[in-house]
Amino acid sequence: MRHLVLFWALLKKEYIYLKRYSFNTISGIITIYLVFLLIFYGVKALGGANFGDTLEGIVVGFMVWTFAIFAYSDLSWAMIQEAQQGTLEQLYMSPLGFGWVAISRVAATFIFNGFIVVLLLLLMMFTTGKWLHLDFLSLTPLILLTVAGVYGIGFLMGGLALVFKQVQSAFQILQFVFVFLIAAPPDKLPFMKFLPLSMGTQLIGKVMIGGVPLTQLPLHDLLFLVGNSAFYFGLGFLAFKLFEGIARDRGLLGHY
Amino acid sequence: MKLVLEVKELTKVYKQRRGENVLAVDQISFSVWKNEVVGLLGPNGAGKTTTIKSIAVLIKPTGGEIWIDGVNALKDQKRSLERIAAVLEGNRNIYWRLTPKENLEFFVGLQGHSVRRTRGYIDELIELFKLKEKQNTPARKLSRGMQQKLAIACALVKQTEILLLDEPTLGLDVEISYELRRILKEMAQRGERTILLSSHDMNVVQDICERVIIINHGRIVTDDRVENLLKLFRASAYRFKIEGRLAQEQELALKRRFPLLEVEATDHRTYIDADLEGSNEIYEVIEILKGGQARIESIDHKEPNLEEIFLQIVKGDKR
Repeated sequence: MRHLVLFWALLKKEYIYLKRYSFNTISGIITIYLVFLLIFYGVKALGGANFGDTLEGIVVGFMVWTFAIFAYSDLSWAMIQEAQQGTLEQLYMSPLGFGWVAISRVAATFIFNGFIVVLLLLLMMFTTGKWLHLDFLSLTPLILLTVAGVYGIGFLMGGLALVFKQVQSAFQILQFVFVFLIAAPPDKLPFMKFLPLSMGTQLIGKVMIGGVPLTQLPLHDLLFLVGNSAFYFGLGFLAFKLFEGIARDRGLLGHY
Repeated sequence: MKLVLEVKELTKVYKQRRGENVLAVDQISFSVWKNEVVGLLGPNGAGKTTTIKSIAVLIKPTGGEIWIDGVNALKDQKRSLERIAAVLEGNRNIYWRLTPKENLEFFVGLQGHSVRRTRGYIDELIELFKLKEKQNTPARKLSRGMQQKLAIACALVKQTEILLLDEPTLGLDVEISYELRRILKEMAQRGERTILLSSHDMNVVQDICERVIIINHGRIVTDDRVENLLKLFRASAYRFKIEGRLAQEQELALKRRFPLLEVEATDHRTYIDADLEGSNEIYEVIEILKGGQARIESIDHKEPNLEEIFLQIVKGDKR
């Protein structure tokens, strides 16, 4: 029950931020949409007659990328901001444990990010004229599993930020790495499926473009995705705990 | 009386990148009883913040034990954090985008407590800290003093047994500092909380705390009740009132013999403040003064304040 109370407190805080700084939220959505427009018209100009084949893939890829960026920045950037404003130590003093605080925050932001991404998706589908299958029952667990690996990377980067502090440039580079992970097809480059995002994006594409429900996706692919996400999430979280231990040892939790 | 905080041989060594070790806290031990208000004093780098953050399990000590209300804080962090709230580095403990009310509600939730059940106490704290008019204004728009008051209110709203305050009045103007002292003093007098506070402001410590622990170079040099320290130093603090000015050689001779002695000259008089042990040292000062033209008008016991006591202890003049 107390864990739910904590989750509710974090959910409420995120809601207040989104509402109170709605200009910030809206301008963020517009910026992402403008980036999509650039890609869309760029590919359209280059693609010619074959353009229609890649268009749906671009919409799906862009949606996953947006989700991944939100997920990743929610953890790593937020940790830097909390350290800068001096509230990180207060979060660490929660008797429910910082692990639960971080996971509750991830869950709270996932809900709000979901709404924003759906809005963006509708805008993208309207712009391209390609209306994809929005089977939310199949998509929600797939997206959760796909971004779980990214949350793992977010934990890793957050841990690095606790110890090494000035790691923002690495954060930005990773955003471009995500593009590669999403865009490179695992059926042509088999090693890609061992990396985060790639396999999930492919399965999401099957649901959204092919209209295949979750229950009809190959079981071994789903199991592989579960294993892949659990591996990266677990690895990221373990690394975070390791860096957290170093930060506690050096007295760096409150520094930035 | 119930023991609520016990620090046993706490040691913290910071390992530097170049392989050098910095000993921040060196086997310090002290106990705090329920409803006590204890001041932690020490110069910069003495180990105050490391001690407070170790108690709040934000820093991993190199050695020693910390027991909070019977719970081993280093082994059972979550249970120990049920009993502790802290305000570290003044106003940097609150969410600047949230209003005071939202901040208070958030920190109740962070503790896993129901906001509905704490509503009455939240309103009480808003009244106590005079935040009612600004309760719906984002914290970033509040003055520094108000932010600091809000930070303390956010720690209190957790309703823990122990409150740790690291420099609660740092950077505040006199008026707000006085108001905060008043609130803390009232809380202390009502016996609402056990408070361990570190401060550079001796007035705060003298005003609020019953007991003071002085740390220097990571070690405890004094742990005594404030009134005992004042009594002890009152017995040996003297003020000599001299007609006219001291000759330079006299002043040098005095300072050579009593390095902490202070000389203050006005147009027609000179005042000498000294901490002297027994009548022999008083006669020594008189002997030195006799050598010149100065005429001693009076010798009085001086009323010491905690700041002077602190300086003498830290400089190793008296323990």
